[in-house]
Amino acid sequence: MSENFYIKNLPNGLTLLGQQMDQVASAAITLLVAGGASHDPTGLEGAAAVASEWCLRGAGDRNTRQLNDDLDALGCQHHESVTSEHIQFSAAQLGRNLADVLAIYADIIRRPRLEDSTFEPSRALVIQTLASLEDEPARKCGLLLQERFYPQPLGRLIYGRAESLQAMSHDAAREHIRSCLNPRGSILAVTGSFDWHVFCDVAEHCFGDWPEQPVEPIKTTLPPAGLTHIPKDSTQTHIALAHRSAAVSAPRYYAARMAETVLSGGMSGRLFTEVREKRGLAYHVSSHYHSLKEFAGMFTYAGTPPDRAQQTFEVTVGELRRLVEGIEPDEMDRARTQLKSALVMQGESTTARADALAGDWYHLRRLRSLSELSEAIEKVTPEEVLAYLREFPAENFTVLTIGPEPLDISLIDG
Amino acid sequence: MEFKQTKFENGLTIVAEVNPAAASMAAGFFVRTGSRDETSAVSGVSHFLEHMMFKGTKRRSAFDVNREFDEMGASYNAFTSEENTVYFAAVLPEFQARILDLLCDIMRPALRAEDFEVEKKVILDEIARYQDIPQFRVYDKLMSEHFAGHPLGNSILGVPESITALKRDDMQAYFDCRYSPGNVTVVGVGNLDFDAFVQAVGETCSKWPCCGDGRETSRASVAGAEKVISDKKVLREHIGLMSSAPSGQDEARYAAQLAAAIVGDLTGSRLFYALVDPAIADEASMAYNPMDGEGAFLTFISSDADRAAEAVRLARAEFRSFVEQGPADAELLAAKNKIASAATLKGELPMGRLTAVGFDWVYCKEYVPLAQQIEKLFAVTKQDICEVVRRYDLTAATMLALGPLETL
Repeated sequence: MSENFYIKNLPNGLTLLGQQMDQVASAAITLLVAGGASHDPTGLEGAAAVASEWCLRGAGDRNTRQLNDDLDALGCQHHESVTSEHIQFSAAQLGRNLADVLAIYADIIRRPRLEDSTFEPSRALVIQTLASLEDEPARKCGLLLQERFYPQPLGRLIYGRAESLQAMSHDAAREHIRSCLNPRGSILAVTGSFDWHVFCDVAEHCFGDWPEQPVEPIKTTLPPAGLTHIPKDSTQTHIALAHRSAAVSAPRYYAARMAETVLSGGMSGRLFTEVREKRGLAYHVSSHYHSLKEFAGMFTYAGTPPDRAQQTFEVTVGELRRLVEGIEPDEMDRARTQLKSALVMQGESTTARADALAGDWYHLRRLRSLSELSEAIEKVTPEEVLAYLREFPAENFTVLTIGPEPLDISLIDG
Repeated sequence: MEFKQTKFENGLTIVAEVNPAAASMAAGFFVRTGSRDETSAVSGVSHFLEHMMFKGTKRRSAFDVNREFDEMGASYNAFTSEENTVYFAAVLPEFQARILDLLCDIMRPALRAEDFEVEKKVILDEIARYQDIPQFRVYDKLMSEHFAGHPLGNSILGVPESITALKRDDMQAYFDCRYSPGNVTVVGVGNLDFDAFVQAVGETCSKWPCCGDGRETSRASVAGAEKVISDKKVLREHIGLMSSAPSGQDEARYAAQLAAAIVGDLTGSRLFYALVDPAIADEASMAYNPMDGEGAFLTFISSDADRAAEAVRLARAEFRSFVEQGPADAELLAAKNKIASAATLKGELPMGRLTAVGFDWVYCKEYVPLAQQIEKLFAVTKQDICEVVRRYDLTAATMLALGPLETL
């Protein structure tokens, strides 16, 4: 597969990224705007989530219905989401419709109407989504763990708090959202079937005169590790734990991904083998790596019957800790093949590549080709993985459980 | 892109969409069996069996199976529905021979007693896990209400009692009957060598003996009941509505797919504007579910309990006005563009094409290239859609609600 990368930095701070892909008719765009949940001011927690709803409710000359209908008519599969660091706008469509879709996104980002009348339903939807978490304990467990693990406010629950949402005024939300929609630090990636020069002309026409605004750096404080238990009369006990890992930009990043894969890649991973296959303790157990710009974690989750929760917890922590005692050559081989195969398969998807380009630029300020990634994975030695595990030991866990009874975590205390 | 097919004497069929330009290949075993083919005594056996298929064979232990998939860096899994059990894997083309050797081998599992008992605990935990997901509970109960007295109402996971009581030999008997070669379609998609593919599958699977592989496919007499399950542990009201729709074999399925998109796509649909845009519900969507000799339109709504009645009333009003007036030209065109665009994106990945090619064959014994699928979609008229929603009466929906409310 050819890897034709393009990069263009606009004077206002917006970066345009591109990768042409053979054999596809689609073009995907990922637009990361630097105003995620961690930028929500105190008292306005949830503003970014409200923005992701509100910006689509009328922009430029179009009201809500016209906007949606026009995107639909272009066959645009769009999705808006909020992370700690960004508000993300994703859109995939046939390459020939790219320019028209981009013009609509210029309205959404630069000329959202943010009217009083559309604020209330936008806020109400975020309040309902927050309330829905009560009926999704596994998801709630993961989100609340992030909140307790990452430095505040980086791990903050993206939907905010019921109180902050209830108290939010449309004026305050509008003022904050307008200041967040800023080209400085924003990234627009396009992949698939497109012409780079045409794309740049359209993008510059749409975003070239987007005025930049100063960005306030976020002050962070580190939360304490330890256990939080949320009592719930649920059928399962949900156990989530996190410990530090190497950020994407760190030298031991690839060793971290290898460690993650040995633990939890496929069904031969250590967690699946020991917790589910040998002991039948849990249907779902897994670890996944997640990184913010400067802070990363290994997040482990198991859902288990309450009467087996303590054993599941102990076996899981035991496996996380046992890794540093040594990794077999065949485990390394499997992990390498799994990571490299996953790269090739993700490389076939325009949306996955657009996300990867934008992510690379955000974390590294450069783009990694699939062959560079593949070589980097190939070069990781068992010694490097062990060195990573000594640098980021399975200690100082942040633990969050939801279920009938709390766990005894003396095993990981001190 | 080239379509290939062959059939062995024992009835096992191979179909493939070969695309030498793809970077990967995917292979799948589509077995025509699921919860609708179970008796109540073995409720949940199809899904439990799906787990046991990864637990080893005469030549491989369970750990060997897992290890070998991972040695190839395969992206693999399996799923069980009311009427299909599908095992699939995507790999780089260099692993074609190995992945087929593994997939073919696991399709004749050892079903060892000790593995059976360990996995039984996992299945019971999976059932418990889904009990914590209200939307799943709604689906399970709604199917049993809507298809009351018909095998499609059978639960996929079964219940703790049926799983606990299930014996290893019951599973073997079910396997021997349902995994007959006439019920199996092997599907290949992407960058693969078809001749080698056929040879590899043939070495193992062409010798499989035949046995009964039939299925009861009479149309259900659907109930149209309304039921509210009150559970104070659930905070929001979760509502499912189900009505009849064209079957998976019916050419009207393209019109049905468009009707569902116009009425209930996640964005820009009638339910979106009626319920989600004004924040009466945080979720309101409709899907079309084509099945073997049957079909259903399925709507999910999630709302605050105090707005649930209003949400259902508005959804039913949308169904009624759609049946009376049909789609506007602009919304029909937008729905066509949306579905075509989604199918194109999905079709760019071998794994995405695998289920499309597989189910076209399983249900209709036909191969529909992506371009032709899009042509068929664009040929659907406003009149076709009106006929579908009138003939199957979108307004005659079975309703099931789960949440804090006592009545709705």
